[in-house]
Amino acid sequence: MLSVFAQIYEQPGFFVEVVLGGLMAGVLYALVALGFVLIFKASGVFNFAQGAMVLFAALSLVRLMEVMPFWAAFLASCAIMVALAFAIERLVLRPLVNQEGIVLFMATLGIAFFLDGFGQTIWGSEVYTLELGVPKDPVFILESVFEGGVLVNQLDIFAAVVAGALVVVLALFFQKTKIGLALRAVADDHQAAQSIGVPLNYIWLIVWSVAGIVALVAGMVWGAKLGVQFSLALVALKALPVLILGGFTSVPGAIVGGLIIGVGEKIAEVYFGSQIGGGIENWFAYVLALVFLLFRPQGLFGEKIIERV
Amino acid sequence: MITMYVPTSAPERTIGDVLLKVDDISLSFGGVKALSNVSFDIRQGEIRAIIGPNGAGKSSMLNCINGFYHPQQGTITYKGVVRRQMRPHEAAAQGIARTFQNIALFKGMSTLDNIMTGRLLKMKQNFFLQALHWGPAQKEEIEHREFVERIIDFLEIQSIRKVPVGRLPYGLQKRVELGRALAAEPTLLLLDEPMAGMNVEEKEDMCRFILDVNEEFGTTIALIEHDMGVVMDISDRVVVLDYGRKIADGTPDEVRNDQRVIDAYLGVQH
Repeated sequence: MLSVFAQIYEQPGFFVEVVLGGLMAGVLYALVALGFVLIFKASGVFNFAQGAMVLFAALSLVRLMEVMPFWAAFLASCAIMVALAFAIERLVLRPLVNQEGIVLFMATLGIAFFLDGFGQTIWGSEVYTLELGVPKDPVFILESVFEGGVLVNQLDIFAAVVAGALVVVLALFFQKTKIGLALRAVADDHQAAQSIGVPLNYIWLIVWSVAGIVALVAGMVWGAKLGVQFSLALVALKALPVLILGGFTSVPGAIVGGLIIGVGEKIAEVYFGSQIGGGIENWFAYVLALVFLLFRPQGLFGEKIIERV
Repeated sequence: MITMYVPTSAPERTIGDVLLKVDDISLSFGGVKALSNVSFDIRQGEIRAIIGPNGAGKSSMLNCINGFYHPQQGTITYKGVVRRQMRPHEAAAQGIARTFQNIALFKGMSTLDNIMTGRLLKMKQNFFLQALHWGPAQKEEIEHREFVERIIDFLEIQSIRKVPVGRLPYGLQKRVELGRALAAEPTLLLLDEPMAGMNVEEKEDMCRFILDVNEEFGTTIALIEHDMGVVMDISDRVVVLDYGRKIADGTPDEVRNDQRVIDAYLGVQH
């Protein structure tokens, strides 16, 4: 244990590098978690299809980029995700209005499997390389502060900037606008929201569209990093511990949760992994989430669970 | 501009033309008939009570009026326009606000935010300006906030302004729910058992609020209530339902002396 701190003290540059690497990974987790939070906030539904949406959006983008420039492909993919939201609202959510949460959850499970298959049917199932024009080579920064500098990946920095911008826009949208207020109302009580004049269908369409666009951004960044392939749908599983940490209903929670998990698992892997034989990175996040479930089930920023009996 | 009418002297109540007319409404769920051929009207500015034993179809009637249920037969005429079906948010947009028997508040939100949601339909600025909190959007938000504060003062709930409503006792939740309905500046206010589960003092307060709303803002009110004393005291006209049928309709005195009502309902007085 002490040797770890000695190591950090002796090589502060390396420690900063590990933390930065963790933050960058955390940003990526947070991007996926955001999509979950949006839909959960608005409809109380845990959208199991978020990972499939990430894959579907990334596939659309990468295949469209083969025939058109990036910005056109991005806009077209946005349009596809909005159309998808429209279809989901019409065909799945509307017939199931006022049903139990578990029914809606099962419906999203169906959407997930459908999208996985449908996406690969129309876009192909190979591994596609997504070139965003961002250099992927790692660079050294802060060489004047730390001996030997700190190694960071330029693509990670790009991802962090994109995620940051997205979060600011979403936060403003949901905290300050009447749509944000309507959304919180719908999340809390469907019937009451209708009675004050909130059209449920419209709110759901907006939320699923926004979640679709968030999935597109996440798919774009993850796709650039890992290649666009089926395993993108599985990054959604990494978002689960992030949600438990941050709270299912909190946008800032998704960000902070993502960062904590990203940094936590990197530090655990680099400094403690060797002592117990490595591989901590794979399960660290889930164990952390379990601990949180014991002591703070609503997460760091989630709405307090209030029940008057 | 948002203004709230503050009376200088006791205003004169005037009962106007028919605001809402329910004509030959029938509603059933599968084989269960909730309402059978019910007709009555609500006049502008009046307090109209709907009473009847449990299961008489009172709440179903309100749900038809505000669009939660769509009756299989009959028409509802509101502000002179006949409609067969309407969705709840459309009813809200046309000035029908309501409260619920089992309280449907946004439990995670504060009292202030809950009442603020009642103003959603009044918010006109687009969300780009709102997001930036800039110019006209900021001015508008301040106006809405002022309006909400006046409702909070009116309902005497200043002390619970910031409390999440899930933590409030039942009586206060009912009051917040009334506040949210009032925030929409409704033409027609539907109250589903506004005094259920309250003690005598809370009931007196609620009666006072209902009468004040009706007198000061001229809001038309339709209410369901089981407390006969309250109903007879505050309502102008009473419609009585039993097993989904209308069995009486008239002033409290007329209804009180109606033999069918006595049989069905008041006959079981203790």
